[in-house]
Amino acid sequence: MIVIEWLLLIFLIVCAIAVSISKNLLNSVIIFMSYSLVMAVIWVLLRSPDLAITEAAVGAGVTSVLFFLALRKIGQMGHKEDEEK
Amino acid sequence: MNEELKAIWRSLFDWVMGNGPRPENEVIPPEPPPDLPFTLKPKDKYSRFHEATLKERYSQWVEIHGLHIFSIVYSGLSVLTCVVVVSLLLATVAELPPFGDEKNPANNEVIRRYVEHGGHETGAQNIVAGLILDYRAFDTFGESAVLFTAAVSVLMILGASRRNKQDNELSPNVNEDGKNFLQRGPPIKTFRKDDAILRGVATLSIPVILMMGCVVVINGHLSPGGGFSGGAILSTALILAANAYGFERVHDFFNERTFIVSSSTALMIYALSKGYSFFTGANHLHSIIPKGTIGNILSGGLILPLNICVGLIVAGTLYGFYALFSEGDM
Amino acid sequence: MIRVIIAGLLMLSGLFVLGIATLGIFRFSTMLNRIHVAAKCDTLGALLMLSGLIVLSGWNVFSLKLLLVIIFLWLCNPAASHLVARAEVKTHPNINSICDYIDLTNENKNDDN
Repeated sequence: MIVIEWLLLIFLIVCAIAVSISKNLLNSVIIFMSYSLVMAVIWVLLRSPDLAITEAAVGAGVTSVLFFLALRKIGQMGHKEDEEK
Repeated sequence: MNEELKAIWRSLFDWVMGNGPRPENEVIPPEPPPDLPFTLKPKDKYSRFHEATLKERYSQWVEIHGLHIFSIVYSGLSVLTCVVVVSLLLATVAELPPFGDEKNPANNEVIRRYVEHGGHETGAQNIVAGLILDYRAFDTFGESAVLFTAAVSVLMILGASRRNKQDNELSPNVNEDGKNFLQRGPPIKTFRKDDAILRGVATLSIPVILMMGCVVVINGHLSPGGGFSGGAILSTALILAANAYGFERVHDFFNERTFIVSSSTALMIYALSKGYSFFTGANHLHSIIPKGTIGNILSGGLILPLNICVGLIVAGTLYGFYALFSEGDM
Repeated sequence: MIRVIIAGLLMLSGLFVLGIATLGIFRFSTMLNRIHVAAKCDTLGALLMLSGLIVLSGWNVFSLKLLLVIIFLWLCNPAASHLVARAEVKTHPNINSICDYIDLTNENKNDDN
């Protein structure tokens, strides 16, 4: 079990670095979703299921949807729309 | 002596009112008789040599030098405020116990108090719920108020542009480019209509998700969960319904008015009940709110209604964010 | 013992299917192929893994919860994949270059927003 915790923590750090150095904003949001999911699993392993439920519902669900909507508003949703323009 | 005082006063009066130097041989007219209090006094008595009055000179001086002096005073005051606040905070930090010390009361006594006495002091089986909704209830109240304020701000900003658009539609003589600046981006094709698969799956899963959210909210003092997570689950159900059936169907039972009424009512109930609890139950005074037996659904005193309030606020706020950002309407 | 063997077989086959899914996501080129692999293999792999866990844990409340998870996944995973593929088809500039697209519903003529 300690191996899984270490793997998850390393994945968390990699995700956190990748969010900030990613060029595409859409990729950043998707990586941030995976960050929230891994964070929820880590909360469960730390015996804090309250925070796990909140993190899974808010961090991976609603916040990502709001980020996607904000990206859509500013026209950064993907390369295809840029080609159309 | 009296005449000298009068002369000094007259010169001062002339300087203030902006009269020029008066000639030597001027005949000062006598004062108007006091039995005519409502007659107009001769105003331009001395105004042959008009200069700028004191008020005009002051306004000119302000116009020239005012911004400079204001910036000097402002920067000086800001530096002074920063120095005072930083020194106060540093003095406070110097008094704190060292960080991470094992003898700190926050590291053992508070946790032991919560774990040992949290059950019968708050009546909640879930210690975390008793912690955030009984011991630290005002923090949760602040969080709910912040969420509500954010949602109302977004509603104000986007709703103002919506109302402007409606006004432009009502009066067609306004500029042609009177479109909403937030909808100026590339037009998004929405294909939520006539999607039978999404609609069927939503019909099957929305009641389950709603029931799950209600269970998480209502069992907040018995099991992991609580108002915040349950409200987020409820809001995801609402978002799924809006995507599957269109915003018009959701608008029938959850619109802007419903959101404002439910969130304000929940916040007011939270503030009133928690204020009552703090004024009567804190500091070991007698509280008439029963705690109930630990483990029942009706236990924990105020935790169950507070959970429901927080769940209402969070569900409405998150769905409101989604609806406002995607449709510009609620 | 037989239960452990059955559960191990189920979970190993689930792992195999999930590995195929991961390989396919990295190997395929266009998005429709990738969503095809991800949808089918994820759904079947999750079914195999969770049924292996059900067999391993026996007949109790935990296995009932796992059964509910299976039902939820089988509801939501195909629907989500369908939506992703639909969005790809609708927003791709020239969809006919990557697949044979036949518009049966005439949605493009009706949707102006």
